[in-house]
Amino acid sequence: MCAAHATVRGLLHDVTEQAGTVVIDMEAGLEHLSRGTPRYVDRLLLVAEPYFKSMETAARSKTIAEELGIPRILAVPNKVRGPRDAEAMRSFFAHAGLPFTSCIPADEAILEADRLGRAPLDHDAASPAVAEIARLADALSGN
Amino acid sequence: MKIAVAGKGGSGKTTLAGTLARMLGRRGHAILAIDADSNPNLAITLGIPREVAMHIEPVPQEIMEDQLDADGKRVRTLALPYGDVMARYSTAAADNTRVLLMGRVNHGGAG
Repeated sequence: MCAAHATVRGLLHDVTEQAGTVVIDMEAGLEHLSRGTPRYVDRLLLVAEPYFKSMETAARSKTIAEELGIPRILAVPNKVRGPRDAEAMRSFFAHAGLPFTSCIPADEAILEADRLGRAPLDHDAASPAVAEIARLADALSGN
Repeated sequence: MKIAVAGKGGSGKTTLAGTLARMLGRRGHAILAIDADSNPNLAITLGIPREVAMHIEPVPQEIMEDQLDADGKRVRTLALPYGDVMARYSTAAADNTRVLLMGRVNHGGAG
């Protein structure tokens, strides 16, 4: 095991344990997920784009996370460009046994916010993607 | 509630993590957003200006020390009280959120 990763994991654990509500932007890989992860993470959101490799990565992460014992695992389809994308993702995740509550649409405002170096929420709070993330926040807050 | 957001690079996980953190903050939670992906983008997504986000000091790895747990097992644990860590390394952002940046893990192929 890599000592530096052990350090980051220890740090994530100690800090998260003492904080109230925590949102962790994980590494692109799953190096930070380990047997100790469920001690500090109770929900895992797996963001996936509407193409096979991305959804496949989410499905694989779900298998690993389940083995680790993370209690609640949700897919979050992102950059969804229309009903065909939505249906393909719904079908893939149903097959993978991976539930989702929100489907975030492709949204030009997100790209524009990124170009401007601004928060999407400050750039356009009413944009379709931001509105859908608000619904996800409601779903997560409500239970 | 302890939420981890994962996904392939480019999937939009940082945008989701940051925006979700602020949305939850608006719903009355005090939020700690942790960037474990070693880049300033989470801070920007939280609304911290780029010039400020670029200069946020990551939590150094030296802040952890090895200790023995009750079973005599070596565990890496915080060498500073939590409050000190937050005071020194976390940065306030909008909507009742704070952000903490993990130090970069340097080795080939990662990240």
